Amino acid sequence: MGSTIIRMEDISRHYEMGEELVRALDGIDLCFEKGEYSAIMGPSGSGKSTLMNIMGCLDTPSRGRYELNGQNVEEMDDDELARVRNREIGFVFQTFNLLPRMNCLQNVELPLIYAGIDTRHRKERAIAALERVGLADRMHHKPTELSGGQIQRVAIARALINTPSIILADEPTGNLDTATSNDIMQIFEELWKAGNTIILITHEEDIAQCTRRTIRLRDGRVESDIKRST
Amino acid sequence: MKPFLNETYESFRMAWEQIRSQRIRSFLTALGVIIGIVSITMMGTAISGIDKGFEKSLSMLGYDVVYIQKSSWTSMDDWWIYRNRPDLKTSYAETINGIVEGDGDSLIEIAVPQMSTFNASASYRDRSIEQVYAIGSTADYMRTASGDIEEGRFFMRHEELSATMVCVIGSEIAEGLFPGGGAVGKTIRLKNRNCRVIGVFRKQGKFLGLFSFDNQLLMPLDSFRRVFGSNRYVTMRIKLQEGAAIEEARDEIRGVMRRVRQLRPAEKDDFAINEQQAFKQQLDPIKNGIAVAGLFITGMSLFVGAIGIMNITFVSVKERTREIGLRKALGARRRTILMQFLIESVTICLLGGAVGLLTALGMTAAISAFLPEFPLPFSPALVVLSLGVSVLTGVISGFAPALSASRLDPADSLRYE
Repeated sequence: MGSTIIRMEDISRHYEMGEELVRALDGIDLCFEKGEYSAIMGPSGSGKSTLMNIMGCLDTPSRGRYELNGQNVEEMDDDELARVRNREIGFVFQTFNLLPRMNCLQNVELPLIYAGIDTRHRKERAIAALERVGLADRMHHKPTELSGGQIQRVAIARALINTPSIILADEPTGNLDTATSNDIMQIFEELWKAGNTIILITHEEDIAQCTRRTIRLRDGRVESDIKRST
Repeated sequence: MKPFLNETYESFRMAWEQIRSQRIRSFLTALGVIIGIVSITMMGTAISGIDKGFEKSLSMLGYDVVYIQKSSWTSMDDWWIYRNRPDLKTSYAETINGIVEGDGDSLIEIAVPQMSTFNASASYRDRSIEQVYAIGSTADYMRTASGDIEEGRFFMRHEELSATMVCVIGSEIAEGLFPGGGAVGKTIRLKNRNCRVIGVFRKQGKFLGLFSFDNQLLMPLDSFRRVFGSNRYVTMRIKLQEGAAIEEARDEIRGVMRRVRQLRPAEKDDFAINEQQAFKQQLDPIKNGIAVAGLFITGMSLFVGAIGIMNITFVSVKERTREIGLRKALGARRRTILMQFLIESVTICLLGGAVGLLTALGMTAAISAFLPEFPLPFSPALVVLSLGVSVLTGVISGFAPALSASRLDPADSLRYE
């Protein structure tokens, strides 16, 4: 396999809830190689979301080292984190999170605006990303005019647009029916085969089975880490 | 620089989308600014209108004409001080001119005597006009006056010396007695005496809105005496040399007048030297007071508008917490979020300002159409100023909410329901 994209050493994240100290993550050691297709599983409260927030640079650990593509993330300030999120990470959310007043093209372009890309290149790249998820013909539609599966495909196009180091998908099929879920998983499969690094967060066993590695969390610790070759 | 411009352009586009998608809310929010800008602009226009009218009035008195009279225009001394002073004599003018002639350094060009009465009446056939400001003077009068002759001519030296019954009338009298025009050459009645109109003054307008120079009637001094008697208020009109400093000129006039009156050094002046500058000094603080109070009060309405914008921007930040979280997840920096909300509030204020300005423009145009007497100058400076104030209002009222938006935690905001 290729180089290491994510290296986490002894990552902990503690919250203070009143008097009580909540250990959402308690000493996580994980590495992800380039081109890996992994799933993070665990019951609610196991720390999945916290781990995803830290991996996605939306949050910083209370303790430990987090190296993303060779950069030390735990030392970064807000603006540097924003830049890393923009360049290195493609988010796909359970609730899609498209801006309802913008059409698909504008939604997909959004990360490029923050990357400082000019209008013409933005449009070219956004169209290319939408073609990749098979929605180029809907680019002038608003999210309200699309089905759930289509919306999630637009969100995937948005995650792809800046050619990120990893794609982080938080319950990407959580709000979709089985048939649509399969379509979405098909897209992830294709993206993985094209060389992308993908991490899914899910609590559905059959979704996790689509990936090549399953990491199970319990009480903020890694319970098991199983790699499969198919 | 380019990415920044890109981002700013996008922020404007997004702000516009946001405003368009919430039309009623945006309009109500902007209404505060619209009312604020309308009231400030109207007040500014009114103040500069007062100013302009004031300037115009003062220029009627002439910048280089000084008036020697029994009483002062501005001093607040007791009336009996003035009352007990000896009356001025029209003959002083000749004495003054005699003294000045021998002095090569004098700042006085000429002294012209005038006698006047405020409530004369004039009539022509069945028409009559009251409250005529009748003045008797010499043929040199026009050298000390600001008005022009529109029709006909002023009276000549020989008419002055022979006390011919001729007069030059103000435009208001001309219009009142001769609505169809053709005043020149007609004979009007003044206190049972006939007087031939030989000229009409050009319209000048009201002095400080109090009395009109357009109802004045000029006639030779001795003709005036024949009609109104000799016991009338006398003014010495002193025309100064070009470029004369007013303070030095006052000193010289004071000296000359004391000589004329033969006052001993210990005696106080028993005359007053009046000029428009003194008026200005007297009225400027009042004018400025009105301006400050007016702008302060109207500024309050803009302040209320600004609070409205701050409030609605806070609401907007709250409502769009998830959107902010998403934008941050996609790479928006604090600065970008701050800018976006600031630009939104500035855009609303700027739109409100523009609408307010147009409204004010329409209102001043309407007022000017109905009240041509009241000058309302709508200056480009006022346009720039009120738009500037709008932008400033947007920045000030939008800053706190925008800052709170920029500081939101991305992970928390994404989870916000």
